[in-house]
Amino acid sequence: MSSTPWWADQDVWRKTAIWVTSLMLVALIMLTFDTVKQITAGSERVPAYSVINHRIYYRVDTERNLPAPVIGAEAPLFGVVLSEPEAAALVDKGKLTVQAKNCMNCHTLLGNGAYYAPDLTKAWLDQGWGAEAVREQLMLNFLMDPESNARGYGTNRKMPDMGLTEDEARGIIAFLKWMSAIDTNGFPRNFKPIKQEGE
Amino acid sequence: MAHAVDTTFPDTIPRGKLNTRDLNAGQRLAVKYFSVAMLLFIAQILFGLLAGLQYLWPDFLYNKLDFNVNRMVHINAMIIWMLYGFIGSIYWLVEDEAGTELVGAKLGNLAFWVLTAAVTVVVAVFLLVQTGPGEHQSIWLINEGREYIEAPRWADFGIVAVVLVFFYNTAATFMKGRWSGISGVLVLDLIALAGLYLAGMFYSSNISMDQHWWWWVIHLWVEATWEVLVGCIMAWGLIKTLGARRKIVTTWLYIEVALMFGSGILGLGHHYFWIGTPEYWLSIGGFFSALEPIPLVAMVVHAVYDSGVHRFKNSNHPALAWLIAHAFGNFFGAGVWGFMHTLPQINLYTHGTQWTASHGHLAFFGAYATINIAMFYIAIQKWRGGVFMGSGIPHAWRWKWALALLNIGVLGMTMALLISGYEQSFVERALHGSTWAGYFEAQRSDWFVQGMVWRQIFGYVTAAGLVLLVWDLITIGKGETRPAEEPTATTVINSNETLQPSSA
Amino acid sequence: MSMMTEPVEAQQIMLAAMAGAMVVLFGAVYAFLFAWSKLHKRPVIMLAAYLSYLCLAAATVALAFALHLSGFWLIVVFVMLVGYLLAPHAIWHLCEGTHEPSTPHGTDEITSQPIPLEIKQ
Repeated sequence: MSSTPWWADQDVWRKTAIWVTSLMLVALIMLTFDTVKQITAGSERVPAYSVINHRIYYRVDTERNLPAPVIGAEAPLFGVVLSEPEAAALVDKGKLTVQAKNCMNCHTLLGNGAYYAPDLTKAWLDQGWGAEAVREQLMLNFLMDPESNARGYGTNRKMPDMGLTEDEARGIIAFLKWMSAIDTNGFPRNFKPIKQEGE
Repeated sequence: MAHAVDTTFPDTIPRGKLNTRDLNAGQRLAVKYFSVAMLLFIAQILFGLLAGLQYLWPDFLYNKLDFNVNRMVHINAMIIWMLYGFIGSIYWLVEDEAGTELVGAKLGNLAFWVLTAAVTVVVAVFLLVQTGPGEHQSIWLINEGREYIEAPRWADFGIVAVVLVFFYNTAATFMKGRWSGISGVLVLDLIALAGLYLAGMFYSSNISMDQHWWWWVIHLWVEATWEVLVGCIMAWGLIKTLGARRKIVTTWLYIEVALMFGSGILGLGHHYFWIGTPEYWLSIGGFFSALEPIPLVAMVVHAVYDSGVHRFKNSNHPALAWLIAHAFGNFFGAGVWGFMHTLPQINLYTHGTQWTASHGHLAFFGAYATINIAMFYIAIQKWRGGVFMGSGIPHAWRWKWALALLNIGVLGMTMALLISGYEQSFVERALHGSTWAGYFEAQRSDWFVQGMVWRQIFGYVTAAGLVLLVWDLITIGKGETRPAEEPTATTVINSNETLQPSSA
Repeated sequence: MSMMTEPVEAQQIMLAAMAGAMVVLFGAVYAFLFAWSKLHKRPVIMLAAYLSYLCLAAATVALAFALHLSGFWLIVVFVMLVGYLLAPHAIWHLCEGTHEPSTPHGTDEITSQPIPLEIKQ
């Protein structure tokens, strides 16, 4: 044939490319099966939607050496205990609204999105809401009239009026509360949550 | 003897003006895609400038054209113009590579107009309607609200249909003509490209699930299938502009595929650190991220080897300059800027800050904008009748300054964003416990604001470079009567003689 | 046990990022000088190449310290050190192998047969 050594042969490398790619794909698919199981709502890492009926704390998990979510006593959102399907419907409304209003092109969610506005991963637990007792109302006021309730902390940046209905705003709050209970391996770093009852 | 794109022209063909008639059917389609790509490139920069200004003056266009709209158009225009560039590049080379005429020129033309009409409608809706109520109809008709793939669902189906037509056209043309190593890799890569898009076409109220599959589209496109697509275009480009030998180029394409997919597929793991996905992704993502610079190191060695062993004479100076910019840009943007903050121990501070924007600007420009621009120059050379584009062309300052300004502009933005990003991760994450107050504390800090000012200044530099680039692409080769030189690689016998397109 | 053990300290974010950048940069400089020296048969340059590799190794060690790497992560560091050292050798070898003149008129690589399609997907 030719003087090309086998390890430099075109055919050998074609087969290598095929094998390497196939191997990686198989590994990815196997990992995906496990990952999808672990991130399905209702699992240990991604809680069921009815978690919005409870208080959410962050405590350092010494074994993992990072702060992890801990589900506390009952503390229903807007004072109403919801069944799992009701909670799921409310969070769903929030998630749909977050997409339809294009929140992600100013904010980040789980750190992904744009960087013009604060990360929303643990917005529910942010100290900026002051006290636990007024948080829900403040969030509602802010979402429905962000211009008058602007929270720019001395910058001129303020959220535009997204024309949210009260249902949509409540949905967003439920979605934020649920999202704050997702185990994110300690992201964002050093997060210092709002003081809540029972701590 | 080596054949260039331009040597297929007999002397009777008029040079120095646009000769669409003398392009083959694939190339006629390609120049349409390239033209729209340039328009979208302009849109990308314009809306980027608007969004950048809003960092400095938040009241600018407030409640009219808010940051989220400008930023959405900025990143979508980028993704779409690069796709247009890739599709165009492949239509440009398909007849040449297959040695036969494009199978479905009419169908391809129809698909082009459908896609372009759809893009126009999508952008118009983005700008005029902007957002909708929290209902499914909004993400079907207005805006899907997921970064990079904001196009509403109806448009997703359109995109898939058009990509299928494109896939059919490419694969069937190779099937009718002949296969080569490059076309084999290309066709398989296109299957993956189209298939992966489907992973982004469903709704989930579970944000972890949403982002898990969303990364399949974004990462496996940008860091795997796009890279291989560029590898194919580059391989073909090296044969055409430098007369590199096909067998060697093909072998190296396979090597590159092995390295890229070997490190890139599970490199997906570095996006799975913080979105609710299991902890084992920290190890997998970290490990494969450490491997990702290896293909780049391989290219360095190979480039030095090639430059020493072969004497290349290239026929298209602007294109070659942009290919070199591609090599450097890819290395710094993807390699250096990527590895800088990819390990989880540091990514915990940098994820979701301007670090990502810094990396994004350099990597997208370096890896993908550059190669597309190189293809535009290859195309315009032939479109003008195969004109001389070597050293000493008139008005060469235009392409040189366009190259310089675009590169300096993007590099400047990257550095400025890096400074802002460092300040942000330090103040917001380290000092202030990742709270909203901490976020705004960082946004107000002097270093951050300075970074944003310089980003804007370098944004204008980039825009100036783009204006020159457009001007140059419109005028280069106009009135040029000298024929193009033939690219040659003198130490090898070129194998390309049998590869002539339908013009024969 | 956490897979991450201990994130970087705030004061060392920049150090860690720069160390990471230097790993890749010196990786490229080493690869470049290595290839250059081989090409022009200049052993002095090879010395410079290995000096760059030493800088790379130092950057890797700095990175490992800044990021508090231990356990599994030290394996990654080791793989990186060995990988960066050997990769240019391997690639050079491959360059020589693939560029060896074989069939003079290389029309062999164009076929009318489709490449087997069971690949990848």
